[in-house]
Amino acid sequence: MTLYAEVQELRSRYPVSRSATLPALRLAQDRYGWLSPEAFREVAEALEETPAYCMAVASFYDMYHLTPVGKHLVEVCTNISCALVGAQQVLEAFQDELGIHAGETSEDGEVTLRAVECAGGCGWGTVVVLNHRYRERVTAADVPAIVEEIRGG
Amino acid sequence: MSAVERVKVTVDGREVEVEKGLGLVEAAAAAGIEIPVFCYEPRLGPPVGACRMCLVEVEGVPKLQAGCTLTAQDGMIVRTAEASAKAAEGQNATLEFILVNHPLDCPVCDKGGECPLQDLTFRYGPGQTRMTFSKRTLDKPIPISPTIALDRERCILCYRCTRFSSDVAEDGQLVARNRGAQSVIATFEDEAYKAPFSGNVIELCPVGALTSTQYRFEGRPWEIQNVPTVCGMCPVGCNVSATTREGKVRRIVSRNHPEVDRGWLCDKGRFAYPHVYAEDRIVDPLERVRRRGFTGLSWDDAVDRAEALLRGAEGRIVTALSGSETVEQAFALGKLLRQGLGAHSAVMPEAVSHGLDAFRAPLSAIGAAEIIVVVGEDEVADRAPIVELWIKLARRHGAEIVRVAEPKLGRKLEERVSASDRAVLIWSGRGGGGGARLAELGHRLGLDSKPGCAAFHLPTTPNGRGVADAWAASADGDEANPEPIGLLIVSGDEAAADPAVRALAEQAETVIAITMYHGLAVGWADLVLPGTSYLERDGSFVNLEGRVQRLRRSVIPPVPDELAWIAKLAERFDVELSPHAALVFEEVSERCFGGIPFGAVGEIAPLPERVAYVAPEPAPIAPIPPAEPEPQEHFLGTLRLQRYRPLFSGPAVERVPELQFQRPAAEIELAYDDAQRRQIASGDEVSVRSNGTSVALRARVSRALAGGTARIADEHAGELHRDVEVVKA
Amino acid sequence: MAAEQFVVLAGADEKPLLRLADYRAAGGFAALEQARGMEPAAVVQEILDSGLRGRGGAFFPTGRKASFLAKGTGNPTYLVVNADESEPGTFKDREIMFTVPFRLLEGCLITAHAIECDRVFIYIRGEYLREFELLRDALEEIHRAKLLSGVTIVLHRGAGAYICGEETALLESLEGKRGQPRTKPPFPAVAGLYASPSLINNVETIATVPKIIELGAKEYAKIGVPPDSSGTRVFSLSGNVVNSGNFELPMGVTLRELIYDPDLGGGIPGGRQLKAVIPGGSSVPVLTADQLDTPLEANAMAEAGSMLGSGAIIVIDDRCCMVQLGLRVAQFYMHESCGKCTPCREGTRWMVQILDSIEAGTASQGDLDLLLDVCDRILGKCLCPLGDAAAMPVASYVDKFRSEFQEHLDSGCPMHGHSSLESILAPVDQHTHDPVAEVPA
Repeated sequence: MTLYAEVQELRSRYPVSRSATLPALRLAQDRYGWLSPEAFREVAEALEETPAYCMAVASFYDMYHLTPVGKHLVEVCTNISCALVGAQQVLEAFQDELGIHAGETSEDGEVTLRAVECAGGCGWGTVVVLNHRYRERVTAADVPAIVEEIRGG
Repeated sequence: MSAVERVKVTVDGREVEVEKGLGLVEAAAAAGIEIPVFCYEPRLGPPVGACRMCLVEVEGVPKLQAGCTLTAQDGMIVRTAEASAKAAEGQNATLEFILVNHPLDCPVCDKGGECPLQDLTFRYGPGQTRMTFSKRTLDKPIPISPTIALDRERCILCYRCTRFSSDVAEDGQLVARNRGAQSVIATFEDEAYKAPFSGNVIELCPVGALTSTQYRFEGRPWEIQNVPTVCGMCPVGCNVSATTREGKVRRIVSRNHPEVDRGWLCDKGRFAYPHVYAEDRIVDPLERVRRRGFTGLSWDDAVDRAEALLRGAEGRIVTALSGSETVEQAFALGKLLRQGLGAHSAVMPEAVSHGLDAFRAPLSAIGAAEIIVVVGEDEVADRAPIVELWIKLARRHGAEIVRVAEPKLGRKLEERVSASDRAVLIWSGRGGGGGARLAELGHRLGLDSKPGCAAFHLPTTPNGRGVADAWAASADGDEANPEPIGLLIVSGDEAAADPAVRALAEQAETVIAITMYHGLAVGWADLVLPGTSYLERDGSFVNLEGRVQRLRRSVIPPVPDELAWIAKLAERFDVELSPHAALVFEEVSERCFGGIPFGAVGEIAPLPERVAYVAPEPAPIAPIPPAEPEPQEHFLGTLRLQRYRPLFSGPAVERVPELQFQRPAAEIELAYDDAQRRQIASGDEVSVRSNGTSVALRARVSRALAGGTARIADEHAGELHRDVEVVKA
Repeated sequence: MAAEQFVVLAGADEKPLLRLADYRAAGGFAALEQARGMEPAAVVQEILDSGLRGRGGAFFPTGRKASFLAKGTGNPTYLVVNADESEPGTFKDREIMFTVPFRLLEGCLITAHAIECDRVFIYIRGEYLREFELLRDALEEIHRAKLLSGVTIVLHRGAGAYICGEETALLESLEGKRGQPRTKPPFPAVAGLYASPSLINNVETIATVPKIIELGAKEYAKIGVPPDSSGTRVFSLSGNVVNSGNFELPMGVTLRELIYDPDLGGGIPGGRQLKAVIPGGSSVPVLTADQLDTPLEANAMAEAGSMLGSGAIIVIDDRCCMVQLGLRVAQFYMHESCGKCTPCREGTRWMVQILDSIEAGTASQGDLDLLLDVCDRILGKCLCPLGDAAAMPVASYVDKFRSEFQEHLDSGCPMHGHSSLESILAPVDQHTHDPVAEVPA
């Protein structure tokens, strides 16, 4: 199914079709890995909006990538509950293992590491979100195994 | 209708009675008290309460309230910064926050001196800064289009500009990017903000963040003059001020006639003024000399030469008018030629009818309509841009907008229209007898008997109606259609650029052209008399509503204006004619405008009353529309071509470098299915053929266009006829 | 002794109820049947009588909110469930969604019946992928079991923006726009989603509704501390505490019981001392060790100078530098400020700059007063509660730990690099016009 057709299906779910903007952007991102200018144009045409509108919406939300990201996304929560139980050590362990800083993508384009705001796993910190799946109670000691898992997988 | 409920509101101890539900900002103003605002602008839709400049104390509410979001309720007691220390503290806080990252570069800012941020800081703001950290710095200025520069450091994120783009013009091109303190105003991928009304964001900006590239560093507010006049670029006649400095026009800004333009301008009206200073502007009369082409001559010689040509034609004179002359110019020309020489024949730029006078209503009636039927194939914005904004306003308020290609509405639609008390018909296409056909339709549907209903014909010229009326009023006598034409007088740039007029010139023994530009005169006129721009004339225009509006001379033209030398020539033919617009107007007014004096036209002109409907006679001086060849037998692969004259076209636009990006690309717009069938994608080179001619264009595929049709701007359509073949090149 | 009392989470103490059959076995959907046999107004009355108040943080009486819905507007009425749980420290709605998803859906259907609406939108935060999938599967099951009876429930995923938990920002986002709050009035009950009357409730609130029908309003109202704090809450306990996690307890349990009871929080690990506790998510004022006997109910919390908020209790031990805490909290709100109104957008950034300089030891005495003044100038002047949510806690840190802030000015951080929040990295905006990798604390 074309992106255009999928977006039309999304639009039909809502009383006002503009409501499909967020899901349509997610669809395009899932397809292309990130929201390139071309992706914006394609989504915009399907939504009958302008590319500028789609860009304005996407840039408001943290989960849309306006620049390319790695195949794997590692997100470490550094908000207070996780921070109180060692999130910084976990983040630093990832930085060491991956050889990149938070906010960067590894040279081979495999992994992007990000610090993120509260992921909603506060009682089970540190929360690491690996390709949108939560890992909880992660400690710095767990990091090498996780990285190996990513690299291996 | 129930009477409007009145309520009492107390602002700073002053009680005022206002309509219930009136905005508090307006209610306070009625009490003579200012509630300062940045983001509040009722023309942009409901208030958003973003900037927090308008914080006031409302009795019974613990927190400060955004005054702009409140409406007048009975017994409401409000205290502004004048009367409430808490409100003063709140407003002071808002300004402190706004200024925390504002560069305070007022000395080099175009807005300085006419800047709401400066004014409000002076009145309500902190006297000194407590910001000791480095301010946000950003690349600046960013040209968001060739006409608009964006300074993101100065931006206070009031979102007026983006709201205009999304909620008024509905072009969706100027948006906010990112979130929070990182938010910036932006276009998609830094592409140009290319839309017909973009320039309004400059005027909406309450700081110096959005400035005009044409006006940048051109003048300070204390050394400029604003001349109240009307725009002469289209038949709407938006009320504008021409900002002048040192005798030159520096910018055009809106003067807000609430019934006509609501304070909006199109970019053609706003940015095309440099046509006055075009390189090929003619400043001396020119005479064609065999072998040597053209030679300049003095005005005295030019008037002599004109007299000679006029006499030499022995009455076999035809005048081609542009529809951009003032009423006074057209009358003067008519009086000279018709009374002095019996030369009654004229070619008018378009048909004119008085039939719609029975449906007369301000353009604002469109905004209040509940059903609007647009007849014809032309984009409304291409003919009368502001009308498009009125239609959009109505649609946002829930109006039904129907487009039909022909004035056949069908029974159901006709019933809906005639049942409505707020129905509007708009003719936006070729033909229509200058509104006569629309008047017939409107009368049949009973719209002339309902004050909330209206019918408008969108002409192609700014003053076609005024010119036709003035010409008709200038003398009695019938057209003769001389054969052969002894002298063709071409009045104005639009006539000079019209291929039909050029064709007529081929048949004429001699030609006098009145035009501003070399490019339009050279090669075919025997005598060229320099023309002037609407920005350089005194006089009046009649807009598409039938409203007589006053043009004021903003700057002295580099040449004598038309009235001056027409009056001079008139003397030689014993025709009494004043060179002064005010006096000529009085003569015209007696015959056309019920005798209103020139002074009474006013800066905010009123609309004349409706008149009783009279079945229109065939328009007396209608041009014969160019004959469309009969469509060929349709076969698979032929598309119906819609040629259109884009808003951004014409002699003035062609001469303004900053507007070139607005002109239509050399492309053909194809419907999605038609393009698919031909395996054509957007950007492909295609060949468009009909009747033996062929044009190479780039394709643009649109899902909005109806199948079986194709659109090409006139200037790129060459000799193409109605049915075209389109193939991938 | 405090003990857990399962109402919202009832039946899921052993294992989550992820299949319709399991949920039915635990008594599920009986309340729906009962409610559908009642007049809609009677259901609203039950909710009113139960004393249920919004569990998202604002604590507004749920029944009253429902009764405000405009009638006869000619537009449909919508029910919108706020599952955009994002308040730092809060993870209770997530627990509800991954243990009793059917109860949330049953609550939706009962509430929809009560307010006579047939379109329900559940706005779930984008990061909650697993919870979205569980809800999607549960929805599919009740659809197949023909329990929807003409009601459409649409699951709508957010995309990463704390502000969308604010109800009007949520509506904007659901309408496909940037999630910036709207001014009120008009209130959502009059003109909410698609300018139609809309009821917006938190996940926990909606998931409580079936139990109110099941127990009866009178019985439910007896739980907790009536009349203002009736019922249970699913408290999210996190930070420096032995047994962190969610605990469903009747309101009125004290902070001390929650944190120290061996069956609940189990105390502070490593023999540390409790330094401070945030009782209702990161946006509420902090409490100190001497306030631990404050009961977890609205009035007592207000008396103590704080709020129950989203029911998220963050325990902070004596290793934490309060300036760093303030900075990290301010960074969060700066990051999440939507940018619409001036005081929040500019003020949170300024707060971060000042706190940063205090932490770095470059601030002057005046900066501390300036910080409090900036907080004060944000408070009560913003379009939505986010600005207050940044200013209130930070001002409370200065207020309660003034000497620690003073030490930073005089001689630098007293923790000397050993704070538990040392160097904590805050994410900068994912989308910046001028990319800067990260802002270290």
